[in-house]
Amino acid sequence: MKKFIALLLCALLALTAASAFAESIADICAAGEALTHDELVEKALAEEGTFIVYGNTSRIVTAAENFGALYGIAFEGSNLKDAEIYTKLSAEIEGKAKGADMVMIQDGASLQSMALDTGYLVNFVPASVKANIAEGDQNPLIHQFINKVFIWNNKGENVPAITNVWQLTEPQFKGNILFKTPDAEQVNMNFLVMLTNEEWSGKLAEAYKNLYGKEIELGEFENAGYKWIAEFLANCSFGNSDTTLAEELSQETAAGKAGLFVLSKLRSSSVYTENLTVGQYVAAEVGTIIEPFSGFMYPMYALVSSNASRPYTAMLFIEYLMTADGFKPWGKSIGAYSTNTEIAPLDNDLPLSDWKASLVMEDPEYILDNYEDVYSFVTMYLQ
Amino acid sequence: MQNPFSAKQRAKLRAFFSKPANVILVVFCVLLCMLTLYPLIVLFLETITVHAGKEARAVKLTAGDFTLYSLERIFATAKNQYSKLTFYEPLFNTLAVAVTASLISIVFGGSVAWLITRTNLKFKKFISTVFVFPYIMPAWTLATWWQTFFKNVNAGAGTSNGIMAAVFGVNMPEWFVYGFFPISMVLGLHYAPFAYILIGGILRNMDANLEEAATILKTSRVRILWRITLPIVRPALLSTFLLVFASSMSAYSVPVFLGSPVRYYVLSTKMMSLINNYPGQGYIIAGVMIIFGVAILALNQYVTGSRKSYTTVTGKAAQISLINLRKANLPIAIGLTVLLVLVAVVPLLTFALESVIIKAGDYSLSNMTLDFWIGRNLTYLDQGDSTGILLSAKVIKALGFSLLLALTCSFFAGTCGVLVGYGVVKRRGSKLATIVNNLSFFPYLMPSLAFGAIYLALSTRVPFLHGFTVLALVGSVKYLPFASRSGINAMLQLSGEIEEAAVIVGVPWPKRMLRILFPIQKSSFLSGYLLPMVSCMRELSLFVLLVPTSNTLLTTMLMQYSEKGWAQFGNAINLLIIIVVLLVNGIVNKLTGASIDKGVGG
Amino acid sequence: MPEIILKNVTKRFDKFVAVDNLNLTIPSNSFITLLGPSGCGKTTTLRMIAGLETPTEGEIIIDGVTVFSSEKGINIPPNKRDVGFLFQNYALWPHMTVYQNIAFGLENLKWDKKRIRARVDELLAMLKIEEFEHRYPSELSGGQQQRVAIARTLAPNPKVLFMDEPLSNLDAKLRTEMRTELKRLHVDTDSTFVYVTHDQLEAMTLSTKVCLMEKGLLQQYAAPLDMYLRPANLFVADFMGSPTMNFLPAKTKKTGETSCELSFCGLTRTFTAGKPLASLPENVVLGIRPEFISIVSDSSIPASVYSTLPAGMETTVKLKLGGEIITSVVFGGIDFPVDSTVYLAFKGSDMLLYDAQSKKLIADGEIK
Repeated sequence: MKKFIALLLCALLALTAASAFAESIADICAAGEALTHDELVEKALAEEGTFIVYGNTSRIVTAAENFGALYGIAFEGSNLKDAEIYTKLSAEIEGKAKGADMVMIQDGASLQSMALDTGYLVNFVPASVKANIAEGDQNPLIHQFINKVFIWNNKGENVPAITNVWQLTEPQFKGNILFKTPDAEQVNMNFLVMLTNEEWSGKLAEAYKNLYGKEIELGEFENAGYKWIAEFLANCSFGNSDTTLAEELSQETAAGKAGLFVLSKLRSSSVYTENLTVGQYVAAEVGTIIEPFSGFMYPMYALVSSNASRPYTAMLFIEYLMTADGFKPWGKSIGAYSTNTEIAPLDNDLPLSDWKASLVMEDPEYILDNYEDVYSFVTMYLQ
Repeated sequence: MQNPFSAKQRAKLRAFFSKPANVILVVFCVLLCMLTLYPLIVLFLETITVHAGKEARAVKLTAGDFTLYSLERIFATAKNQYSKLTFYEPLFNTLAVAVTASLISIVFGGSVAWLITRTNLKFKKFISTVFVFPYIMPAWTLATWWQTFFKNVNAGAGTSNGIMAAVFGVNMPEWFVYGFFPISMVLGLHYAPFAYILIGGILRNMDANLEEAATILKTSRVRILWRITLPIVRPALLSTFLLVFASSMSAYSVPVFLGSPVRYYVLSTKMMSLINNYPGQGYIIAGVMIIFGVAILALNQYVTGSRKSYTTVTGKAAQISLINLRKANLPIAIGLTVLLVLVAVVPLLTFALESVIIKAGDYSLSNMTLDFWIGRNLTYLDQGDSTGILLSAKVIKALGFSLLLALTCSFFAGTCGVLVGYGVVKRRGSKLATIVNNLSFFPYLMPSLAFGAIYLALSTRVPFLHGFTVLALVGSVKYLPFASRSGINAMLQLSGEIEEAAVIVGVPWPKRMLRILFPIQKSSFLSGYLLPMVSCMRELSLFVLLVPTSNTLLTTMLMQYSEKGWAQFGNAINLLIIIVVLLVNGIVNKLTGASIDKGVGG
Repeated sequence: MPEIILKNVTKRFDKFVAVDNLNLTIPSNSFITLLGPSGCGKTTTLRMIAGLETPTEGEIIIDGVTVFSSEKGINIPPNKRDVGFLFQNYALWPHMTVYQNIAFGLENLKWDKKRIRARVDELLAMLKIEEFEHRYPSELSGGQQQRVAIARTLAPNPKVLFMDEPLSNLDAKLRTEMRTELKRLHVDTDSTFVYVTHDQLEAMTLSTKVCLMEKGLLQQYAAPLDMYLRPANLFVADFMGSPTMNFLPAKTKKTGETSCELSFCGLTRTFTAGKPLASLPENVVLGIRPEFISIVSDSSIPASVYSTLPAGMETTVKLKLGGEIITSVVFGGIDFPVDSTVYLAFKGSDMLLYDAQSKKLIADGEIK
């Protein structure tokens, strides 16, 4: 809500001032890309003050703890919602208050329009790991991908066998699909927006034909993406937290229900994992896919704040996060995929490339251009 | 330099400012304008300004430009029924909930007030003590309790059964568990103590002779109630109605918990979901809520103003013969007790229970652990914290910060309340006093969320408004109404002569306040400190946008945990908050005699 | 000691005029009563002199010092005016003991402890409340509270003592007692007293001079007996005295320099004024105090008894005379039978003539 505010307020003066300010950190980061690990350590340890990290994943705090212990750096890690982070960034940077040094955040569209276009966050790719990261994941730097996939309860008589997403629009799933309400988490909305583009609406139309053996009838809908969104949302029961959804779906009483939420939530001790079936795992076993996608995937970015007071520490932390050690807090359970190609997926999970092939990925520019339209369309089905 | 004032004018000014009451009023008039009216202007500007991000993309303008886009979207966009779904329906829902909640609280609170003051009901002491609990406890307490208690597989996103379904095997229908009905019920129950305090106060002070006179004229009890008692408390009823209406309208946590699972939106929840992507539209909704607030203030002013003669009916606390409820006594008393236990005690037990079970819905002993309270190295839980809340450094830190903030807000709000009370009562009837009186009440009608949003916008303009400062400021302003109400009430009860007797012997003003006025009305004034403190401890929506991190305050931590789905830690923290609030209230009450009852005033 | 002068003092609350252009000189050492019905502006006047209320216009001088002047922009705060104020409701501070209540003002004047102790003891003795020293106001009776309030007011030895209906909350017996005490106190303390009351009897018995006000306007300012015998207008005449004066509509016909023919109640009599009658309107009101109408064994004025109210020491008799009900007070307890006929006489030279239109006193004299 918030970030925007600051933005406009200070539109003229602040923009010039902020960009001038940002440039210096941007310069440092640009120069930093040439530094070796040891040089980074040296410069980072020369910096003073508490190192502050914001992240919208709870495990960033653990990573910061490990990092702090490793180098003896005092830190403060905060787990915030993505929207909160943008708000705080703009308030801190426009208000010239001390704030984050480094930010780990999701929602590429907002990142682009609120933090990159405005210069609040600065990209940095550590030299030591650059070679192991795909070109496309480097600007802005993606630390890991996270997936939200179709999962269903495997108890009782009528266990669903989902091979095509159009099945989820059928009457038997009325009220039986658990999904975090898209206005509570941007990546969910981003996913829906992506479905309306040419590629995915085309694939959805095809999938429809494959399932029902006839051409899709769009009626009042613009394309197959809209039609699927409408019918899917109409079947959804909305929750406020993926953890809760995972817990609820894993109850014996949830027989016959399915969900679309973060795969890594299966790690929680209060989830009865034995009661759950992950769609893509099943598909992979029998050598098929869920048509045309088995969920969606979004990047988690790692960037330096333009008002960082410890920029080298931020860079060192980013370097650390990109290593196997730094990835540990996420890497120990399924559902998180490092962009460092040297870090292998867990044995009981699938490799990133498999997921990328079967999941809907974000395209920030498309999302920004079509957000308003899809947002108001989705609103209709949220009432 | 030429002095613009003549000697006579200067003398007049000097005379004016020689009275502390005038100085106070002028200072507060300026201060409150800055703290309430100026933010309103900022809010208004926000509604017609382009914000960076998706809004700027949609209008294809740069951030900071003027635009009517947000207004058009909110009020007049037919495509995808946008305006209807984003504004008009939530508005209707808001009004429906607010009206229903007000009626429930008046009927419930009013009847109990009448039973306590006018009948020989049994267990009076217990009932009157426990009855105010729901008001002291955070509003979401009842909401989450309602959810945990009644949820079942047939309602909303329900896939697990709550206590009602698991233990008693009763699946309540969806309308009972989520949406309009439970939101209205929970808000109604939460604010019923408000009605109880206001109406009970009038009934207690009302000269019993008024009713006795009717008794002697052989009027029946029912007729007395209908023709004498009700008309006399009518202004209090209306006042209660309006205040509960205003509070319910801006309630956020209750509709979040009980509305969103079935996509039942009210203005506050809609505003929260809009303000991230389309801040302009969010601010318009905030503005609409504020307009309603102002209308209510005006209406309340009109209602209480024009009938003041009624409400000031006071008399000797004469003995009134209590109505004998006879056979109905015990059933009513037991019914009320059970109900109060349900809404005030059972939630606490529920939270305690939910904070010790590992997997939801399984209430067997083998599924229980105290780890969420006192465990260490809880990595196996993978739920945000690795130590139980009582041992967790971050919980302790948040508790400390919450208490510090509560104390600070209470100090500033309470002290300003005393001063405003003094100034307004001393210069009663003057224009300035009326203005300050209204301004000091105004923050009450500002929805907390909107108020927080405005201060967030302000914090980017004012350099020192960060972290603790902005939290303390917004809390002090928001709770000033409670303090100024009790300040005014306390001063009204003091005859002016008490102070004049000290003026004559030359006691300077600060000493008069500290040595004479404050000690005499100690408990009333202290109530003005207590209510801000208690409210601050349990406040969420006001601070949620302004906290440096979610871990800063216990309440925001709780909200974060609940959003993350870390239910056990969440329940444990919730219980911790409630216990702290009840403890603070209890201790202050015991030590000083101040109580919440005295703080709430029309 | 000090003299208080009010010049053109006016107080307005919004549009309501509480005190209208009041001019008053309160001589040193006097005991002045501000008298009038409620809402007449007497309390406002008192509070303005004390400094608790700010006049809208005018000037107030106490002991030669201008304490307020709207012209010169002077407004000296109450505590610098060296005055004492006794409140109607005593305004004792409920959270302080009797001793603390009395001593508080003195501590404020930075007196040393011993001196305060001595002064408080002196006052406790003077007002006979020594045994209540450690009690709280709520533990005292009304009369005792009153004494504490007086002690507190007298403690700093004020030059001027203001009292706002201080006895109105006491019962009749205590009130009489306290009146005696106050009058005694006035002599003992050697200061100027300004006293507000709506009770004309209190004003009569206590004061050296009475200032009678109505609707913010000064009606008459005179010694009590002068005011009683020569009320300046019908309002004053009516307000002073109980039972009230008889007012009889009359017609005049001038017969000489100081005399005229007066017809009232079906009677025609000759009125002889003490001074020459300058102008004489035709319609006048004849005012006769009840004690100047005596009941005699035989006279040319018969009247029938309407009702008799014997009070022991004197008896008030209501009589019907020519269609009017008039009041007579006679000494001793006599119970006249209702409807019996008695004979009246107008005695003395304190019969008063008022202009029926302007309601002002025209002349005093005797009726033959």
